[in-house]
Amino acid sequence: MNPRRLLALPLVSLLLIALLIPFVTGCARQDQDGARVAGNTLHLFNWNNYIAPQTIVRFEELCNCKLAQDYYSDNEEMLAKLAAGATGHDLIVPTGNAMDTLIRQGALKPLDKSLLPNLKNINPAYLDTEFDRGNKYSVPYAYTLTLLGFNAERIKELGLPTDTWAIIFEPEYLEKIKGRVTVLDSQRELMAAALKYLGYSANDTDEGHWKQASDLIIRAKPYWAAFSNTSYIKELAIGNLWVAHGYSNDMFQAALDATKTGRRFTIGYSTPKEGAVLALDSLVLHRSGHRPDLAHQFINFMLDGKNSAELTNLIGSGNPNTGAMQYIRPEIANNKAIFPDAELHNRLEMLHDLDRKKRRLLSRLWTEIKLR
Amino acid sequence: MIKEAPRENRAARYLVSGPPLLFLVVFFVAPTLIMILTSFRFPGEFGGLAPIAAPAEKISGEYGFTPEAYQFFFSDVLYAKIFLKSFGVALATTLICLIMAYPLALLIARSEKRFRNLMVLLVVLPFASNFLIRIYAWMIILGPESAFSHFVNAILGAFGLAPVTLLFSPFAVLVGMVYVHLPFMILPLYTNLEKHDASLLDAAQDLGATAWQRFWRVTWPLSLPGVFSGSALVFIPVLGMFAVPDILGGTGDILIGNLIKDQFLGTRDWPFGSALSIMLTLAVLSVAGLATWFARSATGQRA
Repeated sequence: MNPRRLLALPLVSLLLIALLIPFVTGCARQDQDGARVAGNTLHLFNWNNYIAPQTIVRFEELCNCKLAQDYYSDNEEMLAKLAAGATGHDLIVPTGNAMDTLIRQGALKPLDKSLLPNLKNINPAYLDTEFDRGNKYSVPYAYTLTLLGFNAERIKELGLPTDTWAIIFEPEYLEKIKGRVTVLDSQRELMAAALKYLGYSANDTDEGHWKQASDLIIRAKPYWAAFSNTSYIKELAIGNLWVAHGYSNDMFQAALDATKTGRRFTIGYSTPKEGAVLALDSLVLHRSGHRPDLAHQFINFMLDGKNSAELTNLIGSGNPNTGAMQYIRPEIANNKAIFPDAELHNRLEMLHDLDRKKRRLLSRLWTEIKLR
Repeated sequence: MIKEAPRENRAARYLVSGPPLLFLVVFFVAPTLIMILTSFRFPGEFGGLAPIAAPAEKISGEYGFTPEAYQFFFSDVLYAKIFLKSFGVALATTLICLIMAYPLALLIARSEKRFRNLMVLLVVLPFASNFLIRIYAWMIILGPESAFSHFVNAILGAFGLAPVTLLFSPFAVLVGMVYVHLPFMILPLYTNLEKHDASLLDAAQDLGATAWQRFWRVTWPLSLPGVFSGSALVFIPVLGMFAVPDILGGTGDILIGNLIKDQFLGTRDWPFGSALSIMLTLAVLSVAGLATWFARSATGQRA
């Protein structure tokens, strides 16, 4: 899932207001429903807009309980809130590297798989990842690819390739789309793209390779309009941008917006053949949760194909659930950028966390890139 | 009786100045001390900070205190460059704000009394909508397909010049900065100019001063305190601003605020982020000190 930092500010204020409302109305509600609702609540710490509303309604009917959500807009924010002492979350939905951190911190409870018969629905390609061998703690929920989105008509007109990172790194292509390209404002994601293009691993930490990647980025930078983490969705959809480096679910949104507003162009997106970053979000049980029973019930419920498919139909996220495919709208299910084939899947990589020294070095490299 | 009065005064003075003083201690001195402490520690493996004391189980990793963050800061001329650039942007913003705000403040101060409050209200009215929304609005105004962009490029085209992109540029950052901070320059200037005694100008005129001389030798020197406080209110916030370059800036528009923000979010390097903040605070304090010294010597000359 992508970091939507700039959205965070208004969202945090909304969250604060939302947190205050129960205090104001709390007394009245408790009188009506008694302690049943208070004790029968599953607390989910989730990404914004990361579960379909109708799914929530059905789960609440099934479990005769309430599903309460708190939100975060990037993994760092989630980790920071937990580090600052946030408790009471039964379930969290971290991306691989953040989950790795949580596991190593000892912040998670192991799963009881006897309560998760639907686990059989998950595509084995998404199980047993390097972050959680044997899935002791985690069940895959949804995934996103970092890829290229483009204005299909423009790019075809200009005769540019869309299946390679070369389009955002090579001056011979960039010359035709100067000022109409944005790349992610993320050290890790942009470096990963450059490293992949150079034929290295996205997790390569060799300083010589980093230098090559940053030279590649500095050479291409004059052709880019900006570093952008969220605004590219809108700019692609209204036609100001022709190529953007971004997340698959955001491209899905941009394509949808362009269609809905009746633009004369369409937004396409594809995964470069050199490979890309895969961000797999998983459901995990936090130590501070009070209702592991409801949490397991929820995980098993979300592993059901129909429920899982609703999220994909809503936001165009990748779905690791084989049972969901029959419920997913065919235009999404057949989209290779959302559901990569086995051959491409081998070239996808999940990002690992860097140690503190590497983080500091990468940050300096990044500052240097920006200041150039 | 005679001794009583000053003591009462002193008590009253403490009573009045106590709460703001306490506020400063709690929200400025204490956080600054925390930051100084943080800047001398090791970053934690997962973000946050490494422990001060040796951990109970022998896990790998450092603990305790280190000047590493400052060594890293001075190890590369890069960070000095980014400071210099941020100060340049802050200075440019302050000057543009001053040039734009002065005539307006003068206009408000010299207009009829019943209109003044309305005009001041209009100046602060933009605060009624959220800051981020106002910046996003500039994205639309400066966007390549906007009427404004078309207009600018049509004029440039008429002179045979190549079209320009306005959004995602240093220009857009400057526009955003000036737009956000303009009221902070207008208000102190207006409060100062409003108090000027009109008879001074009459006297100057009677003595044969031209309009320019009346401004340059009477109004301007008297307004200097307003100019200085307005400049401080613009210069210092601009130094720490990260949202405007984030939203309106292009690929090269990184300022010190962005760098610090990044240390606490993406890079999770609290000690280095704190060290950067401390260096910024020191820089701001020395600029403020310099400005006070200038202000004092400027007003001192006239006294």
